[in-house]
Amino acid sequence: MMGLSPEKSTNRAAGESLRGWAAALCLLAALGCTKADPAQFKLNMEGLDPADFVASGSTDEALAERIAKIEQEPDPDEEQLSELQNAQSANARAKGLRDLKVALHALFGTPDEPFVLKELQTQPDTPEVGFDLAKLRRAAGPVSSLEDGTQIGLYRQHCVHCHGITGDGVGPTAAFLTPYPRDFRRGIFKFTSTSESAKPTKDDLKRTLKQGIAGTAMPSFALLPEADIDALVEYVKYLALRGEMETALMSYVDAGDPVPLTHEELLSELQNYASMWDSAADEVITPEAPPELDEPGLLASIEAGRKLFLDAKAQCVQCHGPTGLGDGAEKRFDVWNEAKTDTNLAFFSLPKQQLQPRNLRSGVYRGGRRPVDLYRRIQAGIKGAQMPSMGQTPAKPSGLTPTEIWNLVHYVQSLPYEPTSETGSPERSIQRDRN
Amino acid sequence: MSRLWSLLFLTVPIVGVWVCIWSANNGYWMPDDISSHGHTIDHLFNFCLWLTGVVFVITELVLVWFMWKYDAKAHAEPVKYTHGSHNLEIVWTIIPSATLLFIAIYQMNAWANVKMRVPTDPDVEVEVVARQFEWRIRYPGKDGVFNTRDDLHTVNDLHVPVGEQVMVRLKSQDVLHDFFLPHLRIKQDAVPGMVIPVWFKAERVSNVTGATSAAYDLVCAELCGWGHYKMKGQLVVETRDEYERFLADLEKQQEATQ
Amino acid sequence: MSTIAAGSHAHEAADAHGHGDSLSFVRKYVFSLDHKVIGIQFLFSTLLWFIVGGLLALAVRWQLAWPWQEMPIVGRMLFSGEGGQISPEFYTMLFTMHASVMIFFVIIPILAGAFGNFLIPLMIGADDMAFPTLNMLSYWFMWPAFACMIASFFYGGGPASGWTAYPPLASVASAAPGSEQAQTLWLWGLVFVGISSMMGSVNYMTTIIQMRAPGMTMFRLPMTIWGMFITALLQAFALPVLTAALFMQILDRMAGFSFFIPEGLIVNNASAGSGGGQPLMWQHLFWFYSHPAVYIMILPAMGMVSDIISTFARKPLFGYKPMIYSIAGIAGLGFIVWGHHMFMSGMNPALGLTFMLSTMMIALPSAIKTFNWLGTIWGGRIEYTSAMLFALSFVSMFIIGGLSGIFMAATPVDIFIHDTYFIVGHIHYVLFGGTAFGVFGAIYYWFPKMFGRLMNEPLGKIHFFLSFIFFNGTFFTMHILGANGFPRRLADPYHYDTFEHLLGMNQFMTVCALGMGAAQIIFAFNFFYSLFFGPTCGRNPWNSNTLEWLAPSPPGHGNFDVQPIVYRGPYEYGSPASDSINFPQWVPPKEGIDEEELGHH
Repeated sequence: MMGLSPEKSTNRAAGESLRGWAAALCLLAALGCTKADPAQFKLNMEGLDPADFVASGSTDEALAERIAKIEQEPDPDEEQLSELQNAQSANARAKGLRDLKVALHALFGTPDEPFVLKELQTQPDTPEVGFDLAKLRRAAGPVSSLEDGTQIGLYRQHCVHCHGITGDGVGPTAAFLTPYPRDFRRGIFKFTSTSESAKPTKDDLKRTLKQGIAGTAMPSFALLPEADIDALVEYVKYLALRGEMETALMSYVDAGDPVPLTHEELLSELQNYASMWDSAADEVITPEAPPELDEPGLLASIEAGRKLFLDAKAQCVQCHGPTGLGDGAEKRFDVWNEAKTDTNLAFFSLPKQQLQPRNLRSGVYRGGRRPVDLYRRIQAGIKGAQMPSMGQTPAKPSGLTPTEIWNLVHYVQSLPYEPTSETGSPERSIQRDRN
Repeated sequence: MSRLWSLLFLTVPIVGVWVCIWSANNGYWMPDDISSHGHTIDHLFNFCLWLTGVVFVITELVLVWFMWKYDAKAHAEPVKYTHGSHNLEIVWTIIPSATLLFIAIYQMNAWANVKMRVPTDPDVEVEVVARQFEWRIRYPGKDGVFNTRDDLHTVNDLHVPVGEQVMVRLKSQDVLHDFFLPHLRIKQDAVPGMVIPVWFKAERVSNVTGATSAAYDLVCAELCGWGHYKMKGQLVVETRDEYERFLADLEKQQEATQ
Repeated sequence: MSTIAAGSHAHEAADAHGHGDSLSFVRKYVFSLDHKVIGIQFLFSTLLWFIVGGLLALAVRWQLAWPWQEMPIVGRMLFSGEGGQISPEFYTMLFTMHASVMIFFVIIPILAGAFGNFLIPLMIGADDMAFPTLNMLSYWFMWPAFACMIASFFYGGGPASGWTAYPPLASVASAAPGSEQAQTLWLWGLVFVGISSMMGSVNYMTTIIQMRAPGMTMFRLPMTIWGMFITALLQAFALPVLTAALFMQILDRMAGFSFFIPEGLIVNNASAGSGGGQPLMWQHLFWFYSHPAVYIMILPAMGMVSDIISTFARKPLFGYKPMIYSIAGIAGLGFIVWGHHMFMSGMNPALGLTFMLSTMMIALPSAIKTFNWLGTIWGGRIEYTSAMLFALSFVSMFIIGGLSGIFMAATPVDIFIHDTYFIVGHIHYVLFGGTAFGVFGAIYYWFPKMFGRLMNEPLGKIHFFLSFIFFNGTFFTMHILGANGFPRRLADPYHYDTFEHLLGMNQFMTVCALGMGAAQIIFAFNFFYSLFFGPTCGRNPWNSNTLEWLAPSPPGHGNFDVQPIVYRGPYEYGSPASDSINFPQWVPPKEGIDEEELGHH
């Protein structure tokens, strides 16, 4: 900069740096205005180390050649051999994952364009069975609305930020919630009207959407139009089935077997799961009606229920505690959090969350407060959540009889209104409100 | 030429008034009011609107007029060298003070009616507990007492009979929420640790003649977390018969054993 | 001692004191005790934060115009898994941080920190502040505040309880995303801002009272200084209450205290602590500061606007003493109106009546000031510079903002419009249409004094024109939205039947907001271009009267060549005793002319 006066050189330098900044800003703005890629389903890698699924870098043929060469040697190097064999497995797993993605895409489509095989779609004469593609299309895709006001993209409008685009319960909001939002991919739903090992019916899913889950972050969507709720139910079922199928295909990858890719193989695998969903309506628990009780009869039932509650046979106190406050348990975890151990916790999206047995004196019932709801909780348990099925079934004749269960129901219903359940002055009480 | 700037400023009163008139005539105005006290609030709103509107137009026009007339390039006279006017200061202190005092005192009765004069014998009592992110509503049931086994519970769905005095006991389970009924001009924060009475009477079901029930939005109007926008409830105003039927229905569902 | 380029003012100041060019950047700027350098440091920091706050606002407007559609830049960076749509808690962070940044890092520091610092010694004829070291520290304390706020974006996604931070939402960690470390960091950031402001306030009051030039009586001070002075008083009395409240909430969050948490709360299935506290107490403490804060955010601008209008109308300010009394009245009354933010809060409803009275009365001094501004341009010879245009638009926009306040002061009406967009419209008319436009005017007006160069006038007028149009397009219809009951802070208001039809209006507003943002690029370009390449100017390019125009442009250390002496008030434009259109405060009186008598009209 010889010959330039100091301030001129400062100005030039400043001008140059200014131009540089301007260019950088323009580039950033241009980049930011490009469209993001369409949403994709995420692979279910919960608990799995992604590094295990990376291809080794050498082709299968090259590896086979080298293995053959080493095996021919008089004194084969065991270490090298096992290394090469590991590389082969890594290749197989990586290929397996790719095939898995292809299979799932072929079977289920994308979040913007969902799809189910023709064989799984509803037939006009059996509307309760199978999937309605039109409803799926309404629930899927980005949020928008048609001319007549019909909402499209319902899942993303109402559900995605908790339940995630794949239904994995890991949306952006999920990390802040207690309990976590449901992971649909196991196909396990807690509050159903069906027996212990059965899927929920469409009505069960509808009930959950409509009344929400009291005491959790799952809100009530009762004010949505009926058609919207139907579409969302369909989509939840779709995500669940997709998740189950993914787990099934993943077992092939884990075992090192090739992932089935033909239509027939995939369909038969799929039918295993779809048929369980289709038969859910047959598994609804309809309790015997309880006897009509007058006041003393009801009190007697409550007393019988109380005795049964404290009895070891009913197994209530070990979780709910002798006073029903939910303070009886050692650390327990639901099935979604059980899988998280110290070694694999890093490969899960959310930290391990403990289960809270219900405080029965609060009057808040997550699965519904009707007597029939409470009956079903005791009869069939709460799937995935360590509340065991206590009722009598053909497979378990020693379970609780209907009368016993009704006694327990009456007892549980009476708990919030016992004098000991009051807290503080009624005017200032907050959460023990039976609401 | 530079006096043309005053024309830009002229757009303010013109467009301002035009936007208000256009909005009021094209459905972009206050929602239908169906409450007994709502018309007082609407009247006071319109009163403020007219008063401030007149002051707005006059002062903006004076500003524009001065900007136009006293532009240096168009106005050759020497400036009026003055430091103010004592008399003017008195005038434009006293008149606004009197006006403002009047506006304040004029409205006190309306406020007292909505917030201070708690009715002693309401026709319907209902408890509304706000929580993240829903409205948990409880009717006292046949015995008329809250906190007993026959209480009727519902979520986000508040039904009231038309023409009857309703008393809402407003509570919150966790954080601050706000019970806002736009069509009844009701708004009250729900504070955890307090039970706040909110009372209203829906004068008619809706503006549609012959309607026996109509639904209105219940909005949460105090930031309560990420789901603040999701706390949509509905207020259903209906005839006494429909209301009784609703309660009976609730009871039946709540006691369902099948 | 005339000057050339920016940055070099410190060079030549250094020369004047014999330091030479050998001072490093750190010694020269970071450790500078010169009030002008500190003022410009504040100016640059606040202008940068203005961009941040503005971008946050544009993101809010985007979601309101195109709900759940892919958001530009942010959607791709943070939410690509969901196809680019933002999450609800992200939206709560957006409006929380927009308001926090704009209030605490832009408006308050630019008025008091930037302009207060730069102008006070110059306008009163002093060579620096009373406590230069304290002044330097007041800028330094902004940096921990910046660090805390920036950090809060990265811990838990940013504070999400609104800038008002009402407990229990803000006090209980499990209540909201961002109500974890992010909210605590936010609280600490505000504590640092408070410390910085307190230092400044003490400095300003002392300087103004103690260090005026000979002849500069209190009633010869320009309105800018009166505005700064009364603002400093407000800060001194109100800030301690905020700081106490912030510490109480910090203790609630970090140390298990329960000042604001009632007993028995279970939030998000986690117990909220032992309880025994009152959520409403936070609101009282917070608004006891934050209401005077809104006056802190406008009084300096009112003062600066008075100076600019008088200068370019070429006649004295109309009603100088009433103007001062009005500012004092606003400040005094400002301490007894805080409850109007709490009409629906659940406090004793009888307080609704008392606060309605006091709030109505506080409209009076503002009205008096507006009439006096009109009186100032009446009979003048107006020069339409960019600075004057912005100052006049302050008056025009402030009329709207002030009048819309009447609706909120009317307690029964507030039942309907509380927490709706009516309030948001009011806020932005007074703070943006008022203060920010006043700040723009002040920048155009005092840029020559700060940097020795003129900003480009045609570009300034284009900036004004576009900002004016787009500002009104964005914010006027907010009053209409409010009349519809359209609530604030909702990520998706349209799923309520009552508000479905308002989407179109919101889209219009967003387009205008984007236009307004784009118009500021012209300003930024003008500012930086003029900094290096603008035409140089002399000491008094606007032919003003006040003392700062006696000093060189830019002034060196010590400000004035010799100690100025003040002979008259600051608004003697058009005085018959003067030969020119102005009559500066430092020019000795002419023989045989009694200015006092001439001035009594």
